[in-house]
Amino acid sequence: MSSWPAIILVVFLLSSIVLVSSSRLVHCIQLVALQGVLLGIMPLIFWDWQSSPPHGELVFLAIVNIAIKGIALPMLLILAMRRAQVRRELEPLVGYALSQLIAMLIIAGCFAGYRHLIGGTTANSAMLAIPVAASTMLIGLFVIIARRKAITQVIGFLVFENGIAVFASGLMVHHGAIVELGILLDVFALVFIMGIAVFKISREFQHIDADRLNTLRDRRDHENTAPPAGFTAE
Amino acid sequence: MELVLIILLPLLFAVLALSLCRHGQWPLRLLQLGAVCHLLLVCYVTLPGRASNAVSFHGIDLFGLDQVSRLFLTLTSLLFACVAAHCGRWYPADRLLGSKRGHGHSMRPGLFVACMLAFLSMMSMVLLACNLGVLWVAVEATTLASAPLIIFHQGPRSLEAMWKYLLICSVGIGLALFGTLLLATAFTGPQELSPGLNLSALMAARNALDSSWFKAAFIFILAGYGTKMGLAPFHTWLPDAHSEAPATVSALLSASLLNCSFLGILRFVQIAPPELTGFCRTLLIALGLCSLVVAAFFIIRQRDYKRMLAFSSVEHMGLAAIILGLGMNNLAYVHLCGHSLTKMMLFLTAGSILLTYDTRTVHAVKGMFGAIPRTATLWVIGVLLICGTPPSPLFITELLLVTQAPLWLGATVLTLLFVVFCGMASICLDMVMGPRPETPPDSEAVKAAESLCGIPALAVVTVLFMGAALIFFIENSQWV
Repeated sequence: MSSWPAIILVVFLLSSIVLVSSSRLVHCIQLVALQGVLLGIMPLIFWDWQSSPPHGELVFLAIVNIAIKGIALPMLLILAMRRAQVRRELEPLVGYALSQLIAMLIIAGCFAGYRHLIGGTTANSAMLAIPVAASTMLIGLFVIIARRKAITQVIGFLVFENGIAVFASGLMVHHGAIVELGILLDVFALVFIMGIAVFKISREFQHIDADRLNTLRDRRDHENTAPPAGFTAE
Repeated sequence: MELVLIILLPLLFAVLALSLCRHGQWPLRLLQLGAVCHLLLVCYVTLPGRASNAVSFHGIDLFGLDQVSRLFLTLTSLLFACVAAHCGRWYPADRLLGSKRGHGHSMRPGLFVACMLAFLSMMSMVLLACNLGVLWVAVEATTLASAPLIIFHQGPRSLEAMWKYLLICSVGIGLALFGTLLLATAFTGPQELSPGLNLSALMAARNALDSSWFKAAFIFILAGYGTKMGLAPFHTWLPDAHSEAPATVSALLSASLLNCSFLGILRFVQIAPPELTGFCRTLLIALGLCSLVVAAFFIIRQRDYKRMLAFSSVEHMGLAAIILGLGMNNLAYVHLCGHSLTKMMLFLTAGSILLTYDTRTVHAVKGMFGAIPRTATLWVIGVLLICGTPPSPLFITELLLVTQAPLWLGATVLTLLFVVFCGMASICLDMVMGPRPETPPDSEAVKAAESLCGIPALAVVTVLFMGAALIFFIENSQWV
């Protein structure tokens, strides 16, 4: 029974690695959904079942978590993807093989750094959550930087947010049900607004390449020299 | 209970604006009514000698009032009422001139008003929050409520600004959430005494916080809320969002929202264990200086007057961070109040200039004194006030900052302030002086701009009065 937390965390990490090296957006969204479901059941897995059954609040939060992160957000993303008519991230700024390598380096670095921090003692599986959380957050940030499409950046943000949530449930931070619900609501509304923004960007520019959103900058008389947005050279 | 009402009332009006009164003059009336009701409620709650019960739920202190939140809540509500009053004339003028010039659609009035009121509600929630988790939720919600306002004038540039705002601020605030969670694990005492994230409990238990966990938490918090507050090097979204948003929205973003994020950092400084205050202060001073340098560099070569104002906000947030880093909390509040009032007035005036000349580049705006004399006068006075010319309240705070700081810091700050002054003065002079433009702005726009002077003039009088009061009462003040 005690090996379950470790298994969940490893599956979580593997999903991040696969996500980094996948070009099909549907695939990425499915992986984020998987992460959301894992996050939902994580507090139940980490619960000390021997001493007492989990209280109702925990179960309720787990269900809400799965409903929002595992079902609602992926559906929103798929809707935004269909509306913006993109299927794949074709020309990422960092190639897929290299991305995978970088993700693995991030994970290795996080685990090594964490072992160095706590002085090499073997930690219990709940403490395994810290390096997993840190590496997931960094991988999320890496996806935001290394991909072009606005929608992939939203996916990267969700991975980043999932990393934070792993930290919270791994260390059993109890910030109260109302705060947790507030956080979930915020994330949901954020992805909703970002989805609308992706749609508006695709309509306005005929593309959703966030790296080509570069008209606004501090340059002398940019009003005259900058080519109209959407037609910038690659 | 009235504290919850402060948050719920604007939300109620927002729902009304979205559902029932979407058309014609109704939404704007609703905006003004909502602002006035909010202001009255806030005045009632913050009456001296009146204590409001804190609201808690299942062991979590949700909302409460202390000295700082009283001050900033009143300020925010007052600024919002001013902006709402300004909207009454500005919104129809902007819509009319926009459609005449072929700028395409601007936002529907119902949606605009709903977002503004939701924004007010979320800012009140930030200021009232007594729990760091609730604080985080509210700060993130302010981003969500204000992001749609940036694409008021729908177009590629404002979409780009909104995307940057959403993405950069969300990632930044995500870091702040991580910092908050780190703080929650920093408590070293027995589990059942754990303070959770309640501010008052944390403040009581500050000696039991583990110092290395707290250090890590504070770094993430500073990066996170610093992003939202516009501290360099995390400020990159700020000039884009503040320059692309319409005048009334940038006025609110700059004057109220930055204060709210400042409050996020302030809460963490308040609960720092005594041996770590030095660490926090060093970091604050470093980031503040960095912001000053960045602002000075970008203002001196600026060619867009709204971006100039945005970088001036970065500068003043940097100054506030330095003042907080020197341990003069009350002075920081005064500085932020002075900045808020002046910057609101400047952004509103910039909106009038934009209405008249239909451009944001400095070299295209000439001869304002000839074309729009009232607006030009306000613009000059505003720029002088924001640069800290006496009797601006910013003069007093900057003077005290320079005299109380160590010599190297004072000298650096003074030099950078001088650079900022040169940059802003040259831009301002370029705009107001010179011959009348060859193609004079159309008379309708001039009339609209000149009729929009009421609220900015009121703000100028308030700022001057505040500064004069500060100068006269500086002798017997204990708050420095």
